[in-house]
Amino acid sequence: MNKGIFAALILFFAVTESNAQLGAMKLVGNDTRDYKLGLGAFIKTGFPVGEGSDITVEGGVNIFFLDSYGSADGTIMCPLKIGYRYTLNKTGQGFYVEPQAGYNLYGVTSLHDESGNAVDLKYHGVVFAAGTGYLFTIGGQPFDLNLRYETVIAHGGSNNFIALGLSRFISFKKRDNNY
Amino acid sequence: MKFYFVAAAICLLFSSCLKQSIADAMLHPKGSGAAGATATLSYELNGNPVKLTVANAGNQDPNAYTLGCTKSPGLYSFSGLGSTGETNFLFYTDSLATIKYSYTGNYGDMFFISYNGQDEFVHVASDFLSFTITSYNNGRISGTFSGQLTPLISANTINNTYGAPGSILITNGVFENVPVFY
Repeated sequence: MNKGIFAALILFFAVTESNAQLGAMKLVGNDTRDYKLGLGAFIKTGFPVGEGSDITVEGGVNIFFLDSYGSADGTIMCPLKIGYRYTLNKTGQGFYVEPQAGYNLYGVTSLHDESGNAVDLKYHGVVFAAGTGYLFTIGGQPFDLNLRYETVIAHGGSNNFIALGLSRFISFKKRDNNY
Repeated sequence: MKFYFVAAAICLLFSSCLKQSIADAMLHPKGSGAAGATATLSYELNGNPVKLTVANAGNQDPNAYTLGCTKSPGLYSFSGLGSTGETNFLFYTDSLATIKYSYTGNYGDMFFISYNGQDEFVHVASDFLSFTITSYNNGRISGTFSGQLTPLISANTINNTYGAPGSILITNGVFENVPVFY
């Protein structure tokens, strides 16, 4: 089922001329002090729905490695989110805020238990995020510098992280200002 | 607009109240009283009730428990040990989900239940034992099960001797708050 969803997402983002973002992120909260700085990548597209606002669709991969037990241990999450991006000056540029909600298509935490046995804990879960950012252009190319807090909730626990990213965003429907 | 931001803030606040990471919640069914929760297993074998209750189920020794489920590569082993014998089931999966798992006679002979000294197997093609997990939270599973098994009369070196095919009916099976040990 996941393969079908991933294939549909790839097709969807290809059709809607999305592009990718790379970012750095840090897990926060309990049980996270052994994690290194994480890496994230996502593709995102948006549909203008009003003056300076978009409905956004985002699929991504977030990877966090544990400091201990070697590089094979860590956490991977693949969330699919829908959000509402609202630029504060209603121009489609400048500062914006963006709440998001979605579903974690695939999540796995690989670690070693007290007996030294390798354990893969797989989960899905719901995803919530709140972000802010700044839309600007360099050489006529639109960019998005953003900061967000995201949480994945499953099995009575949650993985929370803060992410900082930079991307160039292309909207499906062109506005006058290309945002 | 305000609605979206208030909703987002509430969701984030709610998640911040969760005191465990997902991995920790799956590994250690603690917090929110999970460790102290009572695990139960009950069913009827040809109408005879079988019941098993374990208080503080999350605090059982993962290597020697009365009622629980342990993970191995590609497999979760459910086991309950009571006064009438033991009850077992195998979930052939890497990751438990809230779905129905069935073992039928087409997969080959398999022991599942020992009742007052008699072992009950999935043996003939029409035999089965099905477990449905209805919830999996805080490292504990709950659900229902039923089945139709065949008794083992005698275990022999080459061929076992079985009783009447499908003569053991498992009905009204329920398990609640059974801890999953990793």
